[in-house]
Amino acid sequence: MVSTAAGKPQAGVDLLRIVRINEEIKAVVGVAFKINIMALNAIFLAKRAGTAALGFGVLSNELRVFSQDLRTCMGALTELIHRCVNEVSVVLQDIRHTRLLRDAVLMSSMPGLAVVVHRREAANVEHQERLAGLRRQLQRALEDAFQLVELGGVLAKSAKIEAAYGQGFAASLAQVSGEFDGVVEEIRNSLQALQRSDFFKSN
Amino acid sequence: MKKTNTIFQEGDHKWIAIVRDPERPGHLVDTNEYLVLHGGKGMLLDPGGAEVFPAVFSALSGEFDPSALSAVFASHQDPDICSSLALWLEFNPGMRCYVSWLWASFIPHFGGTAETFVSMPDEGMDIALDGLMLQALPAHYLHSSGNFHLYDRRAKILFSGDVGAALLPAGHDALFVDNFDTHIRYAEGFHKRWMGSNEAKRRWCERVAQMDIDLLCPQHGAIYQGADVQRFINWFDELQVGILGA
Repeated sequence: MVSTAAGKPQAGVDLLRIVRINEEIKAVVGVAFKINIMALNAIFLAKRAGTAALGFGVLSNELRVFSQDLRTCMGALTELIHRCVNEVSVVLQDIRHTRLLRDAVLMSSMPGLAVVVHRREAANVEHQERLAGLRRQLQRALEDAFQLVELGGVLAKSAKIEAAYGQGFAASLAQVSGEFDGVVEEIRNSLQALQRSDFFKSN
Repeated sequence: MKKTNTIFQEGDHKWIAIVRDPERPGHLVDTNEYLVLHGGKGMLLDPGGAEVFPAVFSALSGEFDPSALSAVFASHQDPDICSSLALWLEFNPGMRCYVSWLWASFIPHFGGTAETFVSMPDEGMDIALDGLMLQALPAHYLHSSGNFHLYDRRAKILFSGDVGAALLPAGHDALFVDNFDTHIRYAEGFHKRWMGSNEAKRRWCERVAQMDIDLLCPQHGAIYQGADVQRFINWFDELQVGILGA
């Protein structure tokens, strides 16, 4: 059994970490949903501003596409997280079963029982490999999400610049694009923190 | 490691009690497991909890090849009865588990597949073990609402699950009840609290009083033998159960 320095089984620690990641992702998904509404507002505002906010109008459409992509991306992340939680739970159950089986076979005088422990260990390896695969997939998905959010940040900053040319609508356009930028920044920070999680440092 | 004691033998027909683990952590209730052997086939009665599996398994494997266990009998659904099920199935995935229909979809949370479970109807059923007919007797509400005991007519042994159970203090580790009056004090509180129905208790007492029983084997505590069997039935018949002062 792989143990951490504190003596806790690695799978137990992993489960705590993945649960925290899951909570963080849930928060990000909530914020991402807010972005969708904000993008719609930006489109309406740009329409109302008409020729005074042509550049902002183009960007607000891009922000709407971005918000939809972000939603798809968060959906994929949520699914991956659920699969990771499930797999870590399986590994945790494996640890207990293997410990009890090993003890039983060690205490028994009957020959040939080791084959059952070997079979269990082979299944454990399979589960651990599956978890390692999911861990890599999740890491890649977080990187992709981060790239997407970087793009969102660029769009939000450009919208802020375009808002300045909005004449009579400049103040409200600046407010919308500023809020957008703030939310994107929030998601960006969350994703960055998630990428640094110790969950990705385990094997 | 737990001890094994052969409590009945006639040719290849054998009952083995697996009892008393000196290394058992004190926070786990002590349990008895019983192995019925006939014609090279084995059935384990109330196989025990996951945490005591190594102790039960190692004791059993000293007497019998665990991969040849054809079935387990679960008197009811409690974790000390059968939470080790998944581990036993590792040794023989084809093993069957006899259990009340009431728990047939609950116990699978401990392990097993749809093929593992044989649902027993409320009225009980006969269970064949390589030609030996064992009888699953209804003992509902004693204490579980879907509860069975197992009777071996040929060996005159009744496995009585939690009925007859006693929570013995340290040092009281005799296999058989040696002094009924002393012993029953450790059974009284258990029966008053764990058994939920006086009516069910009365019916059970009437039924088993008619049966030919040499050994009454509970899942906790010592085994009743000879005259102590009827003595226990009479005592239980008179005990008021299912009453809590709180």
